[in-house]
Amino acid sequence: MGGQACVFYGAAQVSKDIDLVLFADADNYERLLAAMRELEARRIAVPPFDIPALERGHAVHFRCSAPGVEELRVDVMVRLRDLPPFSLLWERRTSFADDTGLTFDLLCIPDLVQAKKTQRSKDWPVIELLVDIHYRENAGEPRPDWIEFWLSECRSPELLIEIVHRFASQAHSLGPRRPLLAAAKAGNHGALATALDAEARAEMAKDRAYWEPLKRELEAMRRAERQTPS
Amino acid sequence: MTYEELPDEWKEWLDLTPIERFRESEKIFANYLAMGGSLDPDPDPTSPFYAPEEWRPDAAHGRAGLRILRRGAG
Repeated sequence: MGGQACVFYGAAQVSKDIDLVLFADADNYERLLAAMRELEARRIAVPPFDIPALERGHAVHFRCSAPGVEELRVDVMVRLRDLPPFSLLWERRTSFADDTGLTFDLLCIPDLVQAKKTQRSKDWPVIELLVDIHYRENAGEPRPDWIEFWLSECRSPELLIEIVHRFASQAHSLGPRRPLLAAAKAGNHGALATALDAEARAEMAKDRAYWEPLKRELEAMRRAERQTPS
Repeated sequence: MTYEELPDEWKEWLDLTPIERFRESEKIFANYLAMGGSLDPDPDPTSPFYAPEEWRPDAAHGRAGLRILRRGAG
């Protein structure tokens, strides 16, 4: 997931770290830790590698030191805000394989878009580009679930106006769920831009509320670590 | 930014296959490291993971190979 997935999909050119979402299972945790040992990775920052903390939504951060991956950061999560359990994410993942048979399993674009709806302002242009790329690549053979995805998530005013007019009946059905579609239908660029901005700010506030108790926990963990003699 | 607004270089990027993008990204990443690029996360106060005390202050932003000799006022 994260920036590396965005590279595959075309919405980023490089990512400085690797973000993994993991199936929360004892055997899987063992496999993760074995991989981290192979990468000579040490846990950095808080929280510690703690399964209940991961399951509450925390991310555990590692930094590698094995030759070839020195300083590379790996972040691991098992739960993502407003996304379904791992089993469903896995079922609808996107997989790419290279000519050596190496497989890359990624969050599908709609799940990645949801995962990117964070309080971090830098994630929002990426969401916009991910949806635009998905539309550009699939507009020729639209599927009902994709039409719903484009109408629900498109953040480029011009493109949203185009999509709303192209799929007018679906846009009408989704109107109660995404009121700004009315501004797109009316071609009111100013109102649409304002509504898109408000939509992003509301989602950022939702993310901040989700993280608030987790941040309090992180701060308590930092205090505890500072007080622990090394 | 919509696809139409993207610079040509970025449109060429989108014309690559996903695997080609990943391989090209590896090359960009290698160049970034060769130039002394840092793998520390960018300082982002809007991130829930941002903790100023965990930020490594001796690395100039984006360039671990550079050391700050003097900080300006403010």
